[in-house]
Amino acid sequence: MDILYSIYEVLWFVLIVAAGIAAIEGYFYYHFKLHDRKWFMAVSAVFFPLAAVLLCRYVGLVQGAGSGELWAWFFITQVIINLFFKHIIKGRFSLPYMLLAPAFVGLALLLVYPFVFQIYLSFHDLKLTTIMAWKNTGHLPFVGIQQYINVFTTSPLSEVSFWALLLRTVWWTFINVFFHVTGGFALALLLNNNIRFKGIYRTLLVIPWAMPQVVAVLAMRGEFHSQYGFVNIMLGKLAVAFPALAAMGFGPVQWLSDHPLATCTLINIWLGIPFMMVVILGGLQSISSSYYDAADIDGASYFQKLRYITVPLIRPVLMPAVTLGTVWTFNNINVIYLVTGQSGGTERADILVSALYKAAFTYNRYSYSAAFAIVIFAILFFISVFYLKTFDAAKDER
Amino acid sequence: MNKEAAVYRRKKLLKYLLIHAVIITVVVVCVYPLLRILSISIRPGDRVISTDLSLIPSGADFAAYLRLLKDTMFLRWLWNSLIITVVTSFIGVSLASTAAYAFSRFKFPGKKSGMILLLSTQMIPAGMLILPLFLMIMKLGLMNTYLGMIIAYSVSSLPFSIWILKGYYDTIPRSLEEAALVDGTSQIGAFYRIILPLSTPALSIAFLFNFTTAWNEYLVARVVLFSAKQYTWTLGLFELQGQYITQWGMFAAGSMLVTVPVLMVFLYSSKWLLSGLTLGSVKG
Repeated sequence: MDILYSIYEVLWFVLIVAAGIAAIEGYFYYHFKLHDRKWFMAVSAVFFPLAAVLLCRYVGLVQGAGSGELWAWFFITQVIINLFFKHIIKGRFSLPYMLLAPAFVGLALLLVYPFVFQIYLSFHDLKLTTIMAWKNTGHLPFVGIQQYINVFTTSPLSEVSFWALLLRTVWWTFINVFFHVTGGFALALLLNNNIRFKGIYRTLLVIPWAMPQVVAVLAMRGEFHSQYGFVNIMLGKLAVAFPALAAMGFGPVQWLSDHPLATCTLINIWLGIPFMMVVILGGLQSISSSYYDAADIDGASYFQKLRYITVPLIRPVLMPAVTLGTVWTFNNINVIYLVTGQSGGTERADILVSALYKAAFTYNRYSYSAAFAIVIFAILFFISVFYLKTFDAAKDER
Repeated sequence: MNKEAAVYRRKKLLKYLLIHAVIITVVVVCVYPLLRILSISIRPGDRVISTDLSLIPSGADFAAYLRLLKDTMFLRWLWNSLIITVVTSFIGVSLASTAAYAFSRFKFPGKKSGMILLLSTQMIPAGMLILPLFLMIMKLGLMNTYLGMIIAYSVSSLPFSIWILKGYYDTIPRSLEEAALVDGTSQIGAFYRIILPLSTPALSIAFLFNFTTAWNEYLVARVVLFSAKQYTWTLGLFELQGQYITQWGMFAAGSMLVTVPVLMVFLYSSKWLLSGLTLGSVKG
């Protein structure tokens, strides 16, 4: 019965989406094909704003007051759109725009609008005590840049400060990407030799990447358990086997409670190496062997070949992979939240994004986290621009 | 001469063995956690929590699997995930297929900036949009429903899908469509009858990408769904693992049931996914 109901619910939704797409296409069709009719301006200036206002009321985005103002806004927008289509577009390019319309309307509603909404939130005060009022009336107190000041002066969680988080994030990103790239590079070099079982090795090596991340992280978290995880069992056995090591303080460690960040880092390194390995291996295989043959004739050593042939030639593959890897690592909430996110979890392993998630959904400080998110976005934006610049510079060198 | 050759051969053999030894060590590190999950899942109930390291425990049985299917809502969670994921991927791929066609075959003002816009959306941290999406879903009254989840997921893989599909359409010669146009089809007809059937591989890869992204998602589900009946499997497994000591065996069993199909699909499609990831950059 439940299953039937869920199918019904989903079919209904698919129907709504189809109707939405039809409406969007109809809207564009009208503007592209009928723009030279006499009644074009008059009909659309009345009909579309009215439909939009009714839709907004029906969905519940606007309650009670404000419809008149909304109608005026829609009217002005519609007139501008009409003039644009009548005098500038004149029915050209109708097909590509109509093909693009559904995708871009979707992106605008679910990607651009949330982003703008986030900026709006960051200048207002939405928290647990004001959320009911906001839900019912849509009104929020304006607080200016107070939230941004709070981000830098108060802790996003309960004790750790913004600056400590920033430092930790940089450290976390650097360590992870460093080990991902060097580990992936070393493995790819080994696999690129002419050896037996290469295909099997490659398949087995990508397993950490291929497993669902939630399963991989939770399973590894279990393996770091102080008593029953295999990491500590192995450490304990090693300490028994080599008393000299044990004498130096080597032995089982309380991973989750004493070293949460180290645990997360180890898990994430384990997760991230396969991706880099596969990317770099693809790059290595595309290098023609004639370069190496020529270098052999000149008597180049292994490291010379590595330095002057391999590294420069896989650079075009490596750079985008490293950029992607950096952004992914910087944004990695999953690993840290799954390891430390349960109630009573520590905040000593949190990086910026995981603190953002916790500030919003564990501490329910919505506007604060909106401002926090904008700050993180700005940081990431500068990093990306910096990366792209260095990438371009490297391109010019070649 | 002979001696030198022998030394050379021994050196080569040594290198060969060394490479294999190193790779096998790393393979063990990569695969071992998965094998551990397997071995925990078949441990008999009274020995789930132990420091035993053997891969096949003595007295292995499948009781944990049975308990998982009978005592928890695991099947229901899988069903929830499946519905959300299939609808999401279906919507995502249909939107992407037409948009990619426009980018691949037409010249129009705003084409370049549209492509750049798509790329730049990838720079927005995924975690950043969870809060506004959560508030929107709450305001629309879609908390704890499939629809809320589908809305939150549906466009997240769209830019990437458009990029892969555009790359694939670009490799299909235009002369095929031109021939169809001469024979009297419309441009849309040519798209549906020629381009779409020809790009089945790329469409299925885009579908798989959408599918795995939504299937493995955890963070949005955590805030949108709050009753155990509506959980996706990621939330369900987290709950089982959260109660650490008691349900470790069931967690392991559930993990195996989810992981094995995902691994198979991934191994089948990884080459494609990767070529999609690096396509733009290598060409650039």
